[in-house]
Amino acid sequence: MSDAALPAAVPARKRLGLSDEALARIVCGLAILAVWEGAMRLWAPPFIARPSGIAVAFWPTITSAAFLEAAGATLGAMAQGLAIAVVAGTVIGLAIGRSWIADRALHYYVNGLFAMPMVAILPLLTLWFGYTSGARLATVVFASIFAIIINVSDGARSVPREYIEVSRAYRASGFSRLMEVVLPASVPYLLAGLRLAAGRALIGAVVAEFFAALNGLGYFILFNTRTFKHNEAFVAVLCLACFGVAVELMMNGATRRYLPWYRREDRGA
Amino acid sequence: MAQPRFWSGQAIGIAALVAGALVWEIGAQFANPAFVAPFSTTAARMWEYAASGTLTDALASSLAIYVSGMAYAIVVGVGLGLLLARARLLRIGLESYIMILYSTPMVALIPFILSMMGFGFAPKVLVVFLFAVFSVLYNTLEGARSLKPELLEVARSFRSSEYAVWRDILVPYTLPFAMTGIRQGIGRGLVGLVSAEFFLSGSGIGLLIIRSGQDFDVPGLYGAIMVITILGVALMAIGRTLENRFAAWRGLS
Repeated sequence: MSDAALPAAVPARKRLGLSDEALARIVCGLAILAVWEGAMRLWAPPFIARPSGIAVAFWPTITSAAFLEAAGATLGAMAQGLAIAVVAGTVIGLAIGRSWIADRALHYYVNGLFAMPMVAILPLLTLWFGYTSGARLATVVFASIFAIIINVSDGARSVPREYIEVSRAYRASGFSRLMEVVLPASVPYLLAGLRLAAGRALIGAVVAEFFAALNGLGYFILFNTRTFKHNEAFVAVLCLACFGVAVELMMNGATRRYLPWYRREDRGA
Repeated sequence: MAQPRFWSGQAIGIAALVAGALVWEIGAQFANPAFVAPFSTTAARMWEYAASGTLTDALASSLAIYVSGMAYAIVVGVGLGLLLARARLLRIGLESYIMILYSTPMVALIPFILSMMGFGFAPKVLVVFLFAVFSVLYNTLEGARSLKPELLEVARSFRSSEYAVWRDILVPYTLPFAMTGIRQGIGRGLVGLVSAEFFLSGSGIGLLIIRSGQDFDVPGLYGAIMVITILGVALMAIGRTLENRFAAWRGLS
């Protein structure tokens, strides 16, 4: 027994360091939950969300048909809107990045619309599209496309000049230069843009659901808080947080894989 | 060589803006007036608002909320971030939760805030704060994480005081990162402001937008949206200037 324990002594110290970090995380997590629970018990009326209530409500809510339908609707709109924004945003971004005139002509528009808080145009979009899921899709596209345009144009602009010269020397056509040199070189920037865009798209979808009372997680939260079912509503918040974190982790992973030296250089929020 | 290109670039940009206004003006003549208001009518309505003081009042009440929320967000975000830069174990413990909160869409909390805090000034400030604070905190922490432990070790071996460690290492090292966070938070906070004014109690520029939408006052709606866009562009420019001012400290640029 003691013989076997000896060689384990050295790695055991390393494992201690690791478990220290894990321990810190667990202790902090528990402390946050305890403070939340305690504060709510002391000061808040009983219907307000608290960890114990959420834990009880979690399983029944997450398996209910209404919740699943809402989550599907929000996620679907997000995916659809992001797909549109990626395709259109990449085309516009490449044009801006490669053409000096397009850049100068569009840059006030792109920067202005990027800086505009997308919530502000909800009344306009509901005017155009009615209180339909079309308005939500438009909000998602609008919220996400400018982040992609800006990042892709940055990428297309910073393609090394040598690449362009080589492709020109081999008499590649303009189109194949764009598709085979510029586009691949811009992919890491596209990923950075997508990371930013996905977060904005999520906010856009939820806000559109609040505003137009469309079936989705946003409306699920609104409806349940209004009927004093805060714990059930908070499960939807957790679900949204999971979307957000999943996107963040996926994009971080993909960025690290495709462009290890690329520091987080996103613009705006 | 660069100068003429700069000016012709500006000329193209301005020409594009004028062309946009023309297309808007002419296109609107053929469109349904329930959906599109021409540029001239929109500008006239805004002029009317500006002259009657409606616009100034709306901007003042919105900015009061925004500035208070951002001030809290910056103080808490940078303060907590610096503190966590020093307390390593606490930083490791809290880091992942801060990341989760950073990527959670804070709009989802607005209905909770409404039913807990009701209407008024404070809940709206809270929304702006929540939208902005995690950008500041997350980015400051990023600076804290990349702080080289050697720097602190050298300082300790030279027996520098706690104050000197903060003044010479922690603050200069993390501040540029915090500025990136503040720039990001400025944009997010503005989204928070408009959301708060839409979904909590109507006030300021948000109310102006909502009310024009409900009254089918299309020129007023377009005008109010343009005002908030201009505000967004101006705030973004301030944020970018701040960030660039401090970026030199990073030693990268």
